[in-house]
Amino acid sequence: MKALCWEGVRKLAVRDVPEPRIRAEGDIIVRVRASSVCGSDLHLINGYLPAMREGDILGHEFMGEVVETGPGVRRLKAGDRVVVGSVVACGGCWYCRTEQYSLCDNSNPQPVLTEKLWGHAPAGILGYSHAAGGYAGSHAEYIRVPFGDVGAFRVPDGVPDDSVVFASDALPTGWMAADFCGLKGGEVVAVWGAGGVGQMAARAAQILGAERVIVIDRLPERLGTAAARFGVETINYAETDVLEALRELTAGRGPDACIEAVGMESHDVGPVHAYDTAKQAARLTTDRPAPVRQAIMACRKGGTVSIVGVYGGLVDKFPLGAAMNKALVLRMGQMHAQRYIPMLLDRVAAGEIDPGYLATHPMSLQDGARGYEIFEKKQDGCLRTVLHPQPA
Amino acid sequence: MTSNGTRWALAGAATVAAVGVGRMVARRRRRHQPGREGGWYVVQRAITVDRPVNAVIGFWTDRSRLDRALAEWATLERLDDNRWRCVARDPAGGGTEWRAELTVDGPRRLSWRVTEGPVAQQGRVELVPAPRDRGTEIRAELRWRSGPLRRALGLTAGRDPDLALRDTLRRVKSLIETGQMIDTRHDPSGRSPAQEAATDRVRERLTAGGRP
Repeated sequence: MKALCWEGVRKLAVRDVPEPRIRAEGDIIVRVRASSVCGSDLHLINGYLPAMREGDILGHEFMGEVVETGPGVRRLKAGDRVVVGSVVACGGCWYCRTEQYSLCDNSNPQPVLTEKLWGHAPAGILGYSHAAGGYAGSHAEYIRVPFGDVGAFRVPDGVPDDSVVFASDALPTGWMAADFCGLKGGEVVAVWGAGGVGQMAARAAQILGAERVIVIDRLPERLGTAAARFGVETINYAETDVLEALRELTAGRGPDACIEAVGMESHDVGPVHAYDTAKQAARLTTDRPAPVRQAIMACRKGGTVSIVGVYGGLVDKFPLGAAMNKALVLRMGQMHAQRYIPMLLDRVAAGEIDPGYLATHPMSLQDGARGYEIFEKKQDGCLRTVLHPQPA
Repeated sequence: MTSNGTRWALAGAATVAAVGVGRMVARRRRRHQPGREGGWYVVQRAITVDRPVNAVIGFWTDRSRLDRALAEWATLERLDDNRWRCVARDPAGGGTEWRAELTVDGPRRLSWRVTEGPVAQQGRVELVPAPRDRGTEIRAELRWRSGPLRRALGLTAGRDPDLALRDTLRRVKSLIETGQMIDTRHDPSGRSPAQEAATDRVRERLTAGGRP
């Protein structure tokens, strides 16, 4: 079958690879129909997250059709149209039992690196390097999904592939970001990043009761989309001082909750950004955390900072003093896909959320490398490239 | 021109620095060495399984489930009420084989002794209820004898008994909690056979002794 493989830093190519086979009782094989690029793939492609090997298949946000099930699979059968959570969860450990699926104990078969880096190994993630288990990804005609009963969910009829595909990652990640804010109704929420996750987080915050949502980015077209679709307020940080603007927009209080939906390769303006970029390029630091710093500084006293942008290692100039003295609540994590997906599918089917507009650039798998380039450089108003491995 | 005095001062500083770094490394290594007791290396390792103690014991006494779980790497044969004989292979391949005798010492205790194998080994396991609703702590103590040279070689070959113990505990936990062990070694990739072999070696390093 054809698959989009990582060939080295900033090098992708479509290759012929063997088809996956059922290898354990709970496995299912899915024929991939739509597989989205994700901002967190860029960290892998660009060599900022460790443990990619030449020939690894990328992709972790996808939907498709079940073609084969292992002997232990009960809930699904061949022919089911499903969306699959990016995070692999066993369903049998304490973390899965308490719905903290991205912390699953049994889904990363290669835990040594993350145990060293982070003290403990969290869940494995499909198509997300050998630090996250070494699973083959979804930018391929077929993919093996372990613990299929736990991770794959039947999709309501009538919802198009290119909309439901985001229920795999972008939508649950954005929802969890808003969920972390503990909204009770009437809050002001600021969201850093107007990409797929940031826009979903903004919508989720509205549904969960935020009175005002303010989205921060530097790309006018993305801010324009968010404003037009959801009626959020926007700040372009390339033109405006974000901290000043947020203070004025909230009459001095600061946002009640701040969501960071950017991650380790963030952009900013000014000399500190140049310094961070140089340090990261020289591998003296792993992450550029500009939006996290801003979120902590902007957040109201006693407010919540919710981080869903992906970070891998160490940061510097982290305003711990501000967080401590303002008594902030910091919440963060990879999304607990399996906790949110069924509820989100209901909301998508009911028309409450329609993430389909994120798929600005549908393409064939063959064009995957170009698809990532357009996505990374944000050319042509690209929000997300969605790859279609099956012939139309 | 650098004077002789400067040269001596630099050499002295370098020596002091090298000795200091060496001592730090040695101290760090010592902290990570297993304990020693009467000629045995001794380690204690434990893992938490999200099942009540009785369910964990049930796993070991349900013969068909146990055989299915052990299929790839061990066989068990009952000798009498409290004693079992176990033949185990190296799960990573390599053809190493152990024969061990297991004894049930009490309702929640088990011990074993390797009767034939590359390394003299004995150990014991105890099941302790974990606090709150966290299930069962499987606490294991492993003792082995092995010369320093053998130990160094064993380490490079990835067969260090401590690593093997940690792997076994992780395997047992996964089998009890999910009924299977995840393996991504044969997932598809765009690698040549040589690249795949190199990647398998990386996978082995990322697997050996790791815990969740």
